[in-house]
Amino acid sequence: MGVNVQSMLEGLMTALEPGNLLWLAFGGFLGTIVGMLPGLGPATAVAVLIPITFGMDPTTALIMMAAIYYGAMYGGSRSSILLNTPGDGSAIAATFDGYPMAKKGQAGQALAISAIASLIGGLIAVIGFVLLAKPLAEFALKFGPAEYFLLMLFTLSAIVSLSIGNMTKGFISMSIGLLLSTVGVDLQSGVYRFTFDLPQLSEGVDFLVVIIGIYAVGEVLYNYLTIDQPLDKKKRDVGKIWVTKEQWKRSRWPILRSGPLGFIIGVLPGAGGSIASLLSYTTERQLSKRSDQFGKGAIEGLAAPESANNSASVGALIPLLTMGIPGSGTTAVMLGAIIMLGVKPGPLLFEDNPVMVWSLVNSMFIGNILLVLINILLVGLLVKILDTPPKMLYPLILVLSFVGTFTMNYSVVDFYILLLFGVIGLFMKILKFPIAPLILALIVGADMEQNFRKSLILSDGNLGVFFASPISIVLILMTVLSVCYPLIVNGFKKRKRTVEQRSTNI
Amino acid sequence: MIFIRFFMPIFFVLVSICFLIGTFHLPKAKLGDPNGPLYFPAGVSIFLLITSFVYLIQEWRQQQKYPEFKRLLSGRTPFLIVSTLVLGLLYALVFLTLGFLVSTTLFLAALLFVINGRSKWLLNLTVAVLFSMSAWVVFSQWLDISLP
Repeated sequence: MGVNVQSMLEGLMTALEPGNLLWLAFGGFLGTIVGMLPGLGPATAVAVLIPITFGMDPTTALIMMAAIYYGAMYGGSRSSILLNTPGDGSAIAATFDGYPMAKKGQAGQALAISAIASLIGGLIAVIGFVLLAKPLAEFALKFGPAEYFLLMLFTLSAIVSLSIGNMTKGFISMSIGLLLSTVGVDLQSGVYRFTFDLPQLSEGVDFLVVIIGIYAVGEVLYNYLTIDQPLDKKKRDVGKIWVTKEQWKRSRWPILRSGPLGFIIGVLPGAGGSIASLLSYTTERQLSKRSDQFGKGAIEGLAAPESANNSASVGALIPLLTMGIPGSGTTAVMLGAIIMLGVKPGPLLFEDNPVMVWSLVNSMFIGNILLVLINILLVGLLVKILDTPPKMLYPLILVLSFVGTFTMNYSVVDFYILLLFGVIGLFMKILKFPIAPLILALIVGADMEQNFRKSLILSDGNLGVFFASPISIVLILMTVLSVCYPLIVNGFKKRKRTVEQRSTNI
Repeated sequence: MIFIRFFMPIFFVLVSICFLIGTFHLPKAKLGDPNGPLYFPAGVSIFLLITSFVYLIQEWRQQQKYPEFKRLLSGRTPFLIVSTLVLGLLYALVFLTLGFLVSTTLFLAALLFVINGRSKWLLNLTVAVLFSMSAWVVFSQWLDISLP
């Protein structure tokens, strides 16, 4: 138990290697750019930029991909503050007070506090990562196939019940993902399933192609719906990028409180940046003496969600790396990319590849500081990028998606699959189907099935194996709770509405 | 609107039935439990069938509205979507024959002409050539990824 100091130091030296530092800064910068473009979130950023890591050493690739991920989180809030257009759900809370600040001529202060809060939130979360990851990995060693199956079931049910949209659609999305994961050769028996005698399907549907198709191509097709709307061509003068002493005094405690809160929420499967930032915003509004100023440009209303958001993004890496369980759509994309690099996330990663893990942790420390410098020093350039016309940008994203897809399997057949999933992604967005359950189910589906069948083999087909250990029982209870909780809450809301309607009628 | 509201749940019902029938037509495993490969897809198909019926009932009772669906069929949107898909298919067909640089430049230029308009032809061509060349340099030269 505890942190291996030697591995940590070796990790620090690896993270400080010039090549790794360069890719770290480059990844953070690219992530910031893609994340800040309206309509494109961290998941799209990671999906589109995965091919850049091809040919790299796995440690460097992992460092760069994580930098793209939290760089995109930083970037998402730039467009929230300056354009009132969040890149994804986790940047929504930044619009509540960030945009009013920008309208009041305090864009510079808003960008500065957003960067500082993200840095502090990120650093708190990295400390949390150091303290929690190893014990959690050691705890995960107690998991057998039955526990793993139930953990995956819980993660899927949590992501369905917490995802935007109705739960039925979430479950349909999840089921489609699980069914797609069964396509190809069955690993235990060698039976070909749903391949229609197509050799390209024998290894299954490549989840990275699906991810790029849905997140990048689907996103571009969806953005066509609004492509001809007039652009906000207002000149954005951000002014001085720094905060006053008074603003810092108002923000410091919200930042420090929201960091740990965001981290804990980030660790939970299914939650993530959106919930972390919204919850921290609500908490701070309740705690603040100036709650009436929230929504009108209160700096603490921006600082708190920014800290929580970045903290949650680091926290989400814990279940991802220690158990191989992604907690959100974006981390599911990250998991896909990690698997593609030949790295098997799970409890043994800390035993087999400690230097890789600690290089990543140290790089997150350094990366968060670099990102503040990038976001403060290059703010002029970043604001100019926001002015890039979408009509120019979307074709470039499409080309990058095609090139990236080709570099995965060197097969143009993937281009057709990419287009198919682009169309599926478009319709899912229009019909309000959550995408994260599909992606997550597709990625963990095969492992889930293998663990389910291994459990049955070990117990001679006795289903009691899923209730045999305290861990299993806790996981079953959590799964039931995650499914029932939204139903109960909705039931209460409906009842309240009926009572209110009745009283107004009387 | 009625079409799209009921088309999707019925489509999912059909998908689940197809998977269920496909599952029961899978060959038996020669190793271990002969029905081993069936359990998981069968279970998921049945679950999808149930949730699709729930979805159908919800659409029937709640009459959900999808305002974005109207936008999908209005203005330039259908043209842009169909053009992108057709150009993507053509790109797939010529990618190996023409090679990365030529096919990507043509694909990007065509996309830019469709999306950004013909009036900005010089900008479109410049971006198409420069971006394709940069992508080739990054992937092929720096990252050592073999491109046709």
